[in-house]
Amino acid sequence: MMRVASLARRELLTLFVSPVAWTITFVFLLVMGMTFHLSLLSVGGDLQQLVPAIYSGYVFWFMMLIFPPLISMRTLAEERRTGSLEMLVTTGIADATVITAKWISTWIFFMFLWLCMLPLWLLLDGVGQVDFGVLLSAHLGIALVGAGFCAAGILASALTSHPLASAGLAMAINLVLFLVEWLRFLYEPGDLQLRWIEHFSAVHHIGAEMTRGIVDLRVPIWWVSFTILMLFIATKVLERRRW
Amino acid sequence: MIEVENLSRSYGSRKALDSISFQVPSGSVTGFLGPNGAGKTTTLRVLTSWLLPDPGTEKVMVCGVDLLREPRLACRKVGALLEQLPLPGELRVCEFLHSRARLKGISGSQIPAEIQRVLEDVDAVDASRRGIGTLSQGYRQRIGLADALLGDPPVLLLDEPTRGLDPRQVALFRELVDRLRHQHTIILSSHVLGEVEQICDRVCMISAGKICLDEDREAWTRRLEISGTTRVEVVDGSDDVAVGLATLDGVSEVLTDGPGWILHGDRDLRRSIGELARQKEWVLSELSTDPATLESLFLQLTHPGAES
Repeated sequence: MMRVASLARRELLTLFVSPVAWTITFVFLLVMGMTFHLSLLSVGGDLQQLVPAIYSGYVFWFMMLIFPPLISMRTLAEERRTGSLEMLVTTGIADATVITAKWISTWIFFMFLWLCMLPLWLLLDGVGQVDFGVLLSAHLGIALVGAGFCAAGILASALTSHPLASAGLAMAINLVLFLVEWLRFLYEPGDLQLRWIEHFSAVHHIGAEMTRGIVDLRVPIWWVSFTILMLFIATKVLERRRW
Repeated sequence: MIEVENLSRSYGSRKALDSISFQVPSGSVTGFLGPNGAGKTTTLRVLTSWLLPDPGTEKVMVCGVDLLREPRLACRKVGALLEQLPLPGELRVCEFLHSRARLKGISGSQIPAEIQRVLEDVDAVDASRRGIGTLSQGYRQRIGLADALLGDPPVLLLDEPTRGLDPRQVALFRELVDRLRHQHTIILSSHVLGEVEQICDRVCMISAGKICLDEDREAWTRRLEISGTTRVEVVDGSDDVAVGLATLDGVSEVLTDGPGWILHGDRDLRRSIGELARQKEWVLSELSTDPATLESLFLQLTHPGAES
């Protein structure tokens, strides 16, 4: 665990002393700040509707699909290309430790972006009544889906030595989990046989449930399982280089 | 001590290492030589556990740890200065070494003293607070070496360690290796043959994935002496002299060189030339030997047509 923490800390340090992290943060806050403002106008000041309006709109999903791959694309792909992965592994560190640490640092940075919006909510709470329970539920959804998307990004980064190819691949994986929602058009609302499709839908988990304060235990189980599966495959991919 | 028996490693259908065996005794400095693509870096990568050997490899022991069974434990016995040295330019030297020390399992309270020790060893204390991105190639090389020394591993693998160093730094590096040789087993992979000749106790040459020479200093020095050339000049010598010299045991080639001849052979030829001159009543005006160099031996043994 100490090695995971050390490596994750180094990853975050490397990220934050580079301009990449600050550029991503700037773009994120610019887009989400505008979305926050426009959503506030569109709900006519009804703060109860503001959380679903922000956290289930197209801009929100665009950010969810784009940013985890952008953050994770360099983690392994760049290290493999430059040879620093070899240097890392010569310390005797386990491949699973490397993958876990990279994922933790990516996920922490991803959550840092969303927490940067907290001052806006606190400001709004000063003039109205923000339901922090619903807000917390929405962020739990973001944390879970973000964990899965970041893990998919780590897997994509392990598969290629080109960061952009890695980002493209991760976006494709995330897009599948996003587009599953569209399969809902295949069945009628009462058709229970195809309800299983909902379980794979990131949109359904956040948009229909968590932004309304509903936390179904199956959702965390699904996303934690997905995250572990992605990280497990990424570890196997990393181990494969030794053969 | 490093013991390797029948180590093979393939990349797809290409065999990079073909059942090589060698030993590196404790406290020795072994020069690992070979042309590009011969398998030097692959061997070092196996010893750092970056690559696994092929099935069929009998033994890879690093300081008593079986690398085939416990690769990570074996890896912790090794400090490596890699040929490709990708240091994070955005970190300071002390930050980089601190994170590396943690990854190598050094306890937090010992890290500052350990960083100070390795920076003193490589003469780079003044670079401690500098950003790695601003360092010269020589300093970067030294920081890579400092990283390899973190945790005082019993085995050091140095891949082209003096690349980019100026002559003063190269001299300092030699002094450093002299200091380290008593506490560490060192493998030095280099293309600078003069450096290997000066520093190493053993030489291991590899060509096309096979070991073609594995000898200690005494044996390779003897080999250089006997595989050198001998120059002979005879007063009023004619072509008969060349014919006579060519009949001597151990002579592989006789070349005309001005008024004399140069003989290539596989042993010291001076005694037999002297006896031949006495029999033939030649008056020798010159009989001298020119020992082979490590470079000529390298070229001879790693020639594509040379047999291992």
